[in-house]
Amino acid sequence: MSNEQTAWEKVANMLRSRSLWMLYYCTGCGAIELPPTMTARFDMERFGIGPMATPRQADILLVTGYLSTKTLRRVVYSYEQMQAPKYIVGFGSCTLNGGIYYDSYATINRLDLYIPVDLYLAGCMPRPEAIVTGFNELMKKIDRGEATGWKNYQENHEWYRKNQIDALGEVYVHDEFHE
Amino acid sequence: MNSTNDMLDGIMSVIGQFDFSQVKERLFSLTIEKSRLISLLELLRQSGFSHLSLITGIDRIAEEKFEVAYTLFSWQSGVTVMTSVFTDRIDPVLPTIMEVWPVARFYERDVHEFFGIVFDGNPDLRPLILENWDGIPPMRKDFDSLKYSKEHFPDREYRADFLAEGSDGDE
Amino acid sequence: MEMSKEVKLFLGPNHPGMHGNASVHMYVEGDTVIKSRMVPGFLHRGFEKLMEQRTWMQNLALIPRICVPEPDINEMVYAMAIETLTGTQVPERAHWIRMLILELARLASHLMAMGGIGGATGLYTMPHWTLADRDLVLDIFEKITGARIYHMYIVPGGVRKDLPEGVEEDISKLLDYIESRKDEYENLLLKNRIIRTRTKGLAVLDREEAMRLGITGVALRATGIPYDLRKVDPYARYESVVFDIPTATEGDAFARFTLKYYEVAQTIRIIRQVLEKLPKGPVNTRVSSGSALRWEIPAGSVYSHVESSRGEYGYFVVSSGGDRPYRINVRGASFPQGLYGVEKLLPGNRIEDVALWLATMDFCPPEIDR
Repeated sequence: MSNEQTAWEKVANMLRSRSLWMLYYCTGCGAIELPPTMTARFDMERFGIGPMATPRQADILLVTGYLSTKTLRRVVYSYEQMQAPKYIVGFGSCTLNGGIYYDSYATINRLDLYIPVDLYLAGCMPRPEAIVTGFNELMKKIDRGEATGWKNYQENHEWYRKNQIDALGEVYVHDEFHE
Repeated sequence: MNSTNDMLDGIMSVIGQFDFSQVKERLFSLTIEKSRLISLLELLRQSGFSHLSLITGIDRIAEEKFEVAYTLFSWQSGVTVMTSVFTDRIDPVLPTIMEVWPVARFYERDVHEFFGIVFDGNPDLRPLILENWDGIPPMRKDFDSLKYSKEHFPDREYRADFLAEGSDGDE
Repeated sequence: MEMSKEVKLFLGPNHPGMHGNASVHMYVEGDTVIKSRMVPGFLHRGFEKLMEQRTWMQNLALIPRICVPEPDINEMVYAMAIETLTGTQVPERAHWIRMLILELARLASHLMAMGGIGGATGLYTMPHWTLADRDLVLDIFEKITGARIYHMYIVPGGVRKDLPEGVEEDISKLLDYIESRKDEYENLLLKNRIIRTRTKGLAVLDREEAMRLGITGVALRATGIPYDLRKVDPYARYESVVFDIPTATEGDAFARFTLKYYEVAQTIRIIRQVLEKLPKGPVNTRVSSGSALRWEIPAGSVYSHVESSRGEYGYFVVSSGGDRPYRINVRGASFPQGLYGVEKLLPGNRIEDVALWLATMDFCPPEIDR
C-alpha cells in the first residue's frame, strides 16, 4: 500500500476531504439515525458534509445497514454512476458479517465482496456521535491518501463482477413497465 | 351498556351458525368450507364486519394442507373474527374474494408469492416483493433459509483464536 | 400518425423526496400522472421466516426492526399475542408504563412525519425543528430503556424493568417545552400560505372509498369517521384516560396533516394523565414456567392489533405448542394505503405533488416489505 503522494495529490486530498457530498439514499434500517445527524442537534454540515440528490455529483455512498438483493442491484448501478474519487462507508454490523439477519434468504452477508468499502462503523445501530466520529476518521484517511477503494474496483473489476453475479444472478435491472 | 350487549348478541347469532370458538372477550375463530367461502364472507361483511385486516397463509405440512385465514374486524363493536379455510397442499386453488373486498388483490398476491397458492379469478398474481426468485416459494416449511444463505452469500471468515493472539501483547 | 405523449418515469428508490426505500413507477403525460404503480420489496429481509427459526424470547431482538420509525408497537403486539395464548394477567403498573411508552413513541413518530411534510415542499426549517425536538424524546427513551431507537422494553409479562428515579419530572418538563413550541409550529406550517395552497384540495379521499380500501388511521379520520382502535377495541387501560379523537371532513392532504398536529396535543394530554395516575407495584410477571429461553406457549391462533401513528398494526401469531413460533404474519398499516392508494388515488395529480402525497399519507416501506 504505497502512500507516496505528490504535492498536487496532497493538496487535492486535503481539499476533497473538507467538502464531501453524501448521496442521500436510505438503503436499510440504519437510515433512521441519519436525519438527526444532518439536522440541528448533531449538525454534520460544520464538517463540510452535505446531502446530495444525484449520484453523478456525490462523493460518499453511505450504505446504511443490510442490503437485500433487490437493493444491491441498484446500489451497484449508483456506485458505477458516481465519478472517481468516491468513497463508501459501511454503516452498522450488517455490512460486516450479516448482523442479525445472517440466515436470511434475501440479504447479503459481506459487503466488501461486491463493492469496495473504505470505512466500517460498528453498532446496531451507531449513534449520531459515532457517525460524526466515523466521518472524521474518513476525512483523515483521505488526507493521508489511504482511501483508495475506487482504484481497487477499477483494477479488480472482474473479481467484483463475478461475486455480484454469483449472488444476484444478473446485475441488469429490468424495465418493469409490462402492464 | 345495553347497546354493546345488543351488538354482541347480534354477532353471536351470526357466528353461531358456524363452527366457532372464542379465544378472548372480543376475538373469535371460525372454520368454513372452501365451496361456500365467498357467500359466507359476504354474509359476514353485511352483518357488520366491514374491514378486512389481513389474509394469512399457514403451511400445515404435517396434515398435508394449506390453511388460509381471513381476519375481519367490525368497527361498530370492536370484535375480530379469524376465518380459516383449508385446501390441499398439492395444487392448491382457492376462489378470489376481490368482489367482496377490492383490497384483497394485494393480500392474495402476497400469499401466492410466498406459498404458491393460486387464487382463481385474480388477474394479477405477479411477484410483489421478490425479484428474480428461482427457488420454491420461500415460506413453505420445506425451504431451508440458512442453507440458502450459506450457499449464495459467503460469510466473512474470522481467524480462530483471538484470545491466544491478544495475550501475546500486540495491541 | 398518432404519437403517444406518455413518458415512463421511475420515482425510484434513490430519491430525496421518497419517504424511505420504495419506488413508484408512473406514466406521465406532460406534467400529469396517468397511471402509477408502487414497487415495494427493497427492504425485504424475510422476517417471517427468521422468526420461525428463533425461540420466543430470541424474537424480541428481531421484532422492533420491522417498523423503523416507531418500533414499540411491534413489541406491544407480540406481548399481547403471547399473553392471550397463555392467559397471563399483566400487573397494573406495567399497563400504565406500556401506555406511556406507546404514547411517547407516537409523539416521536408524528414529529418526524411533520418534518417530512416540510421537507417534501422545500420548507427545510420544519425538519430542523421537529427532528431536534424528537431527539429530546429519544433522550427520555434512553433514560428509561437504555437505547435510543430499538428499546426491547415491553416484554411478554410486563415491562423489562421499572422506571428510574426522577424520570417523571423530566417527562413533565419535556411536555411543557413541546407545548410552548406549539404556536411556532402552527405559524410555520398551518398558517403558511404556500403550504395551504399546495395541499388544500390535493388527493381528496371520500368516506366510502376509504372504507372500501381498508384504510385506517389518520387518513380515515380525515374523511369524518372517528374510528380509532384505542376507543373501539381498547387495550392497556386506554379506557381509564380521557382523550378526544380529532376528525376533519375534507379528506385532503391539508386535513390529514392538520390532524397529526392536533393528535400531538391529545398525546400530551394522555401522557400527563398517565403520570398522575401511575400506581405502585411490580412491573412484570412470569409467562410460563421454566427458563425464559425455553418458554413453551400453548397451541392456538391469535390476532392482536394496536393503533399506531399510521393506522391499524397487527400480528397474526400461530403457535403449535413448542418453543418456537409456528407462523407469525405482520399486518403493516401502510399495506392498503401504499399499494392500493398509489394505483387509485395518484392519477390525475401533478408530478411535483407525488412526493407531497406520499408524505401526507405517511407510509412506511419496511411495514410493507417486512
